[in-house]
Amino acid sequence: MTEVVAQTAPRASFLTRDRIIKWAPLLVLVFLTLVFPFFEWLEDLQEGKQHLFLVDSRFFSIRNAARILIASTPALMVAIGVTFIILMGSIDLSMEGTVSVCAVIFAFAFISWGGTLASWAWLAIPLALVVGAVLGFINGLVHVRLKIPSFMASLAMGFVGTGFALLLTGGDRIRVEDEIFRSLLTVRWFNFPIMVYVALAMTLLAWFIQSRTTLGRNFYAVGGGEELAHASGLNVTRVRLMGFTLAGVFFAMGALLAVGRIGIAETATGNNFMFISITAVVVGGTALWGGIGGVWNTLVGVLIVNVINNGMVVIGLPSYAQDGVLGLLVIIAVVLSTDRKSVSFVK
Amino acid sequence: MYELRQVDKHFPGVHALKGVDFKVKRGEIVGLVGENGAGKSTLMKVIYGAYQPDGGNIALDGTTVRFQNPRQAMEHGIGMVFQEQSLILNLTVMENIFLGYEQQFVKFGVINWKAMSEAARMQLAKVKLDIDPGMTTSELSFAQRQLVELAKVLTLEERIDGDLVILLDEPTSVLAKEEVELLFNLVKDLKQRASFIFVSHRMDEVLRLSDRIYVMKDGAVVDVVSHDEAEVDAIQHKMVGREVDKEYYREQKQRPYDAGKVLLTFDGVSCDKRFEDVSFALHPGEVICLVGTEGSGREAILRTIFGLETPTSGSVAIRNQKVTRFSARSGVDAGIGYIPRERKVEGIVAGMNVYENMTLSQMNKYANAGVLRVSEEKTLARNWIERLGIKTPDVYKDCGGLSGGNQQKVVLAKWRSGGAEIMLLDHPTRGLDIGAKEDVYEMIREMSHAGVGIVLVADTLEEAIGLSHTILVLKDGQFQKRFDCAPGAKPSLYDLVHHMI
Amino acid sequence: MSFERIKPHLPWITLLVLVLLVGIANPSFFDPAGLLSLVTDVVPLFIMALGMTFAIYIGGIDLSVQQLANLVTVIATVYLAKFGVGVALVAVAAGFIVGAISGFVTTRLYVPSFVSTLAMGFVALSAAKYFSGQRALYMDAELRNSSFGWMFGNTAGVPHELVIAIVLLVLAWFLQTRTTFGRSLKAVGSGEPAAIASGLNVDRVKILAFAISGVFAAVAGLIFSVKLSGGDANLANGFLLLAIVAVLVGGTPLTGGVGGVLNTAIGTLIVMVIRAAMVYLEIDATQQQMVFGIVLIAAIALTIDRSKLRGVVK
Repeated sequence: MTEVVAQTAPRASFLTRDRIIKWAPLLVLVFLTLVFPFFEWLEDLQEGKQHLFLVDSRFFSIRNAARILIASTPALMVAIGVTFIILMGSIDLSMEGTVSVCAVIFAFAFISWGGTLASWAWLAIPLALVVGAVLGFINGLVHVRLKIPSFMASLAMGFVGTGFALLLTGGDRIRVEDEIFRSLLTVRWFNFPIMVYVALAMTLLAWFIQSRTTLGRNFYAVGGGEELAHASGLNVTRVRLMGFTLAGVFFAMGALLAVGRIGIAETATGNNFMFISITAVVVGGTALWGGIGGVWNTLVGVLIVNVINNGMVVIGLPSYAQDGVLGLLVIIAVVLSTDRKSVSFVK
Repeated sequence: MYELRQVDKHFPGVHALKGVDFKVKRGEIVGLVGENGAGKSTLMKVIYGAYQPDGGNIALDGTTVRFQNPRQAMEHGIGMVFQEQSLILNLTVMENIFLGYEQQFVKFGVINWKAMSEAARMQLAKVKLDIDPGMTTSELSFAQRQLVELAKVLTLEERIDGDLVILLDEPTSVLAKEEVELLFNLVKDLKQRASFIFVSHRMDEVLRLSDRIYVMKDGAVVDVVSHDEAEVDAIQHKMVGREVDKEYYREQKQRPYDAGKVLLTFDGVSCDKRFEDVSFALHPGEVICLVGTEGSGREAILRTIFGLETPTSGSVAIRNQKVTRFSARSGVDAGIGYIPRERKVEGIVAGMNVYENMTLSQMNKYANAGVLRVSEEKTLARNWIERLGIKTPDVYKDCGGLSGGNQQKVVLAKWRSGGAEIMLLDHPTRGLDIGAKEDVYEMIREMSHAGVGIVLVADTLEEAIGLSHTILVLKDGQFQKRFDCAPGAKPSLYDLVHHMI
Repeated sequence: MSFERIKPHLPWITLLVLVLLVGIANPSFFDPAGLLSLVTDVVPLFIMALGMTFAIYIGGIDLSVQQLANLVTVIATVYLAKFGVGVALVAVAAGFIVGAISGFVTTRLYVPSFVSTLAMGFVALSAAKYFSGQRALYMDAELRNSSFGWMFGNTAGVPHELVIAIVLLVLAWFLQTRTTFGRSLKAVGSGEPAAIASGLNVDRVKILAFAISGVFAAVAGLIFSVKLSGGDANLANGFLLLAIVAVLVGGTPLTGGVGGVLNTAIGTLIVMVIRAAMVYLEIDATQQQMVFGIVLIAAIALTIDRSKLRGVVK
């Protein structure tokens, strides 16, 4: 009775496709952090100003690391939000609108309720998060209830969001100059500003949701096999709605950090978040087909994107090249993460 | 304990279950056998709640129950181990086991992985599988996944009061011999926990494992035999045993084919694991029928001929020319026509009208420098509408709106008008009513007379016998036997079934 | 009469109703001269939407059109001096290449078109920034008039711009309805598996569809650039949403296979009338995006063929 009928499957070769996909992004990140200082070193060498590789690098320095991390934090929040959606095999392209609306509403509320965190104006922060949640929920409703593919539903919602932000501001910029709020950027602990730690805390929260809650696991179930999950009694519609709502909250978080970083809320606050965050997610190794990847992948992906952006400046490449490089990066990442045997045709 | 009484199920045009009585006693293993289309899968779906019967009733311990969906059936202790595996591969084993029932391990919104892991280990112990419940399911072998599915179904034991009935649908189809052995021992051990319904096309396995065997034919239970009385021959006779109406299949019209010429040769062709080492030759005017159960490799052979699959070894030649490129395009260029089983997906393009569909594979013949000569297309369509008696108001009718039989004729016209010399027919009469079926038979004969070589996968064995010159029997991707089917000297159903299962 | 029966007629009914409503509220809307200038204004958008129709008709989408048009405004401005009218060829070639690459990445590398075209759009943006040196550029007035002045003339009161649009529409319509390519497009959009099983070279058809979308976007960019007498990496921003809206409200659903270029003509007119109505209702121009975003959602929801999504909507 106690005999074991089937032992574990024989270990496949060391370098399985899964394993490569899992670790490749991290390797790329490490490679990039070494290759940029190398170019820098090479450049200096040619100009006759030799410096110690890595040790005296401008790129490979704590100051530059802080710069990269500061630039990364808002995008990281947005990218984490969309990670949940992509895990389900859907996509959310509404982030630019949502970020703008949340930023603008936050700024208005913050200023009219006292203009400093030391007053009731702190309520503007939860308000912004709620607004994000509501926008995400509506986004999810349009997708799930009207049965519109998520990329189109969310793209349209993004346009609506940006338009709404414009309606609110009338094209004006709103300055948020409260020192306590701006301490997100200005106050540094161990060389890094507070917003980096806030982002880290949110990332841990996201990881917790992903790995320790039913909702988080259900994202994987939906992404791994929606029909099977449904057959097992999972309320897929509900999971999807919750996913979009959660994404909205993280977009709002991204908006808060973006405002904290620049001190301005405007319609354009959300600009560029769509492409950067999608790039970061897929470059980090979360498959566009769903079910594989997660928050840590996205962290690595965001860092890759920002290291490239920063490194290109440091080694003196023109800034216009960035968009093109990211564009190619997305295509390469999606191609590498696609198992061609499992897709028949794509439109 | 579990009982179906006089259960009926109708689909449009089909009486799928005819007054079926079916009973499972506590701790019993019940086998279910029947030909393709005998109603096995419909019966299974009624049992696990995917279909609702439209006559008769279902009783559990004497009380009548009605399941709206599989979940309700599950809550009454009826679980299904699917043939196509229903595990989500990117999740861990324990998550799969408790998918949809995670709530028992959640405290303050947090999943207690340790508790779930322990509970999963307990379930896995029931099926004697010693693996880490935290493993990702995709890392498991097929056999292990099968056991995990069984373990998943066995969680019902703790979840519900009362007895369990577990359906096993072709559970051995992906398993190696030793693994089958292990599974059977396990099922026998589990008899004290649950009753089983075992469906398989492998007759010997059903005979070995089952306490009683239900034999189905044409949607009805034709016999119930107990383990000790069961005999393969007798059961096979009951599964088929029908008089063939020679008139119906136009047998008198069958003429000998031209054995002097060869259209298509398969020489030791294998394709992945779907079929292995298959050889045959197709001659002008010959109708070859591939016979076997679902998954025996019949369809894969058709798709290989057409170019939709690329063989892994062996060689395919068309008119003695070795085929080097396998794609639908080269197949069409070589004069092959393909009538797929999924008529509405691969046959016609719904949303395009009759003439557009007919010229789809041969547009260049009706175009100058890419500009279509639409009036010629319409003339062609009108000709074929008349020739095949296609019932459509005009050539502008959307093919998606035609009846099944007429859609089939449009597909046929597409290939015939393009001059296809080799026709591949995959279940050409599926879902058609009797009149439309007879039309298709008539057309097959006509094509055969015109010197077209035909490879057919028929809907029923009678059809196969009635229509073909040659029958090739396949089993699990292996070639079994070749039958010559000259009129008057056709093999019997029993002869075929004997080699199929 | 069921909704499915009315559905194909919905776009022109919508157009008619909108025109009547706006006309009743503001009779000056029917002033021929004003109407003509409204229609003429919408020409670049129309041409872009015309191209987009091909991508959507096969069930894909092209999100790169706006960036591509941006790129072309820059190329046209920078190279006008060198190539003269020939710059039009350069523009068309650029559009074809970018579109064909999107198509290749989608069909051969299995990247969904919304991602591949989005990515290619950023590649185009990068190129536009490179060629423009990230500045707004202006065309030499004399050169512009001698090379492309003919675009903006009038013959018998009909603006040449409109003539160009109509010629392109006829061309696209001919391509769609009269050629083997157009027929293949329809087959791919309506039932790709059956198109493959009929031996069509589906990959080539799809790649060409994206290439055509690119060509039309390039032509739109060229006209826009000449019209504004300059080029800039952001000049055509705002066009993407309107182009998608024009295709979808015209009745070509996101799932492809039905509708077509004539529908897009109607769709573009609907967009035009909505804009005119907004002006009349004194809705700020900044609100366009929100209004059209909502119109877009409604249009998709009404037109999409859910039976083609096979149950799972992702």
